Amino acid sequence: MDWNTIDQQVSTMIQNNQPPDVLNLNAFASYAKDNLLYAAEDVLSPKTKDDFLEAFARGGEYRGKLHGFPILSSARAFFYNTDLFARARITAPPKTWDDFVRDAQKITKLGGGAIGYALPLGPEEAQAEWSIWMWNNGGDWKSGDRWAINSDKNVQTLGFLADLANKHKVTQVNPGKTNRTDGAFQLFKDGKVGMVIGFSPLAKQLDAEGKVKYAVGAMPANAGAAVTLGVEDYLMAFKKKGNQEAVKKFLDLYYQPENITRWITAEGFLPVTKSGLTQMSSDAKLKPYLDLLPNARLAPTTDPAWDKVKLDVQQSLGLAVQPGGNPKAVLDKLQQNATAESGR
Amino acid sequence: MLIGAVVLFPAVELVRASLSRYSITGLYQGAVGGRNYARLLQQDALGPVALNTLTWVGAVVGLTLVISLALAQFLDLEFPGRRLVRWALIVPWAASLIMTSKLFVWIYDYYFGLLNRALVALHVVRGPIDWLGDDRTVMGAMIGVGVFVSLPFTTYVLLAGLQSIPGEVYEAARVDGASGWRTYWAVTLPLLRPALVVAAVLNLIYVFNSFPIVWTLNDRNPGFGHDTLITYMYKIAFKSALRDVGLAAALGVVNVLLTLAAVLVYLNTVRWRESFEA
Repeated sequence: MDWNTIDQQVSTMIQNNQPPDVLNLNAFASYAKDNLLYAAEDVLSPKTKDDFLEAFARGGEYRGKLHGFPILSSARAFFYNTDLFARARITAPPKTWDDFVRDAQKITKLGGGAIGYALPLGPEEAQAEWSIWMWNNGGDWKSGDRWAINSDKNVQTLGFLADLANKHKVTQVNPGKTNRTDGAFQLFKDGKVGMVIGFSPLAKQLDAEGKVKYAVGAMPANAGAAVTLGVEDYLMAFKKKGNQEAVKKFLDLYYQPENITRWITAEGFLPVTKSGLTQMSSDAKLKPYLDLLPNARLAPTTDPAWDKVKLDVQQSLGLAVQPGGNPKAVLDKLQQNATAESGR
Repeated sequence: MLIGAVVLFPAVELVRASLSRYSITGLYQGAVGGRNYARLLQQDALGPVALNTLTWVGAVVGLTLVISLALAQFLDLEFPGRRLVRWALIVPWAASLIMTSKLFVWIYDYYFGLLNRALVALHVVRGPIDWLGDDRTVMGAMIGVGVFVSLPFTTYVLLAGLQSIPGEVYEAARVDGASGWRTYWAVTLPLLRPALVVAAVLNLIYVFNSFPIVWTLNDRNPGFGHDTLITYMYKIAFKSALRDVGLAAALGVVNVLLTLAAVLVYLNTVRWRESFEA
């Protein structure tokens, strides 16, 4: 199935009462909430279950039980164009947000269409870009059990991003209306952009094209140590009459270290198992991402409300960084919707 | 049987879905009567989206008809290479809508697009324009593509209409001493009316239901500011915080009724019976 239409396809299958046996998706909590999924102890052998990295296993829990089995992960990282950095006489990647703004200005001043930072807040993946900036200012999606989307810190962060576009003018045109893959990444691959948040598949494309010299590092932070976003995909098993044994056999075979590692390596993603981490840590290309993995945080995917909050963020966050946008109003509305969705 | 399976069954399913509640995963959670319709009316985005739809359908169908009339007239003339031009006109029709739309995304692009490069080189504009990101230009850019892909079909319908007009009536007009324009207004257009009505009705339905163009050219814009009722329906079901199949189905039913109503109103205004009996 095609990744762009998979949500729709699966929804249709469930509407017609013909769920798949096993599904690979980036969300699981809503399915667990609707009581459609097997828990880990029903379909995974203890050996497989214990091999999952702690953080990723926790990211697949619904009401304390593992329902979304980690299948692969990726971590975002800070990419910068070393040619543009050299031309702007920047010697090291920025560590703080002040450094970041200054460097972005230097690059933009080079002229000739140079862009300091490519900021994609369009609907494709606004929640990912936002998470990273939010965390590096000490903010978060939630405070304890409650949503904290419109916290003072977060309002400040979104204001900062809007300023990048409208006050400092160091981003590409209309960042609130730029997607990641065909927008920000495309510009970086064309050598126009000084800095962008990327991930390993982008590195693969850059290496294949060989046009842009770049390096990968940690995010600039405005509070505490640099944080990045980890994303995990899930494998989930749907409860259907008579499929439990077959599903169990399939999953155990799938999660045998050599099988899963081979698949993850081929796709350029990162491991989710302890055995996989040991096997892949020798790969120099993956080292920057594996180094970031311990400091990677996950979006609140274990909350069933997240599946809707994410879509809400995608459809509204970009409006806040457009000229005349109102970061606080946008975050207030998101907070209000999220709270209503969770009932708390 | 066939009509039952192909038309009736989906229609019944759609109406039933619009009267039901589904969880975000697609799980059926019971009947809710007309509640989805009431909720639909409460959506803030519905007004602007309906207005967008009106602009989109009106502009695309109107412009398409006017340009197609001129094109058909031109293709009706005898000139060397006519066959080639006629074939060339079919190309945008034969290409998939998604492909055409993707192509236009690149043509319109702020940084890499051909359109901006051409306009800047010709000194029409001072700097590039973000056609698909600027709220003032998105709809116009989409309408441009909508017209582009509607032209071939419409032109051919009108061309067929033109060729069915017998030569004698033109002769008669000439004998009466009518000028070129006068002949066009008094003879060609009235006789072309059946073809025009068919082209207008089919385009109305086609453009209203057009999903790929609006979806592809508008996919970078957050919110529902440039959606039509069709893309809005899809977003309600799968791409917005609503994630509500029932609500989307309700809009689907409304869309079908709207199309039907629009076509009936149109046919009534042009008095189609007369135009066919003429």
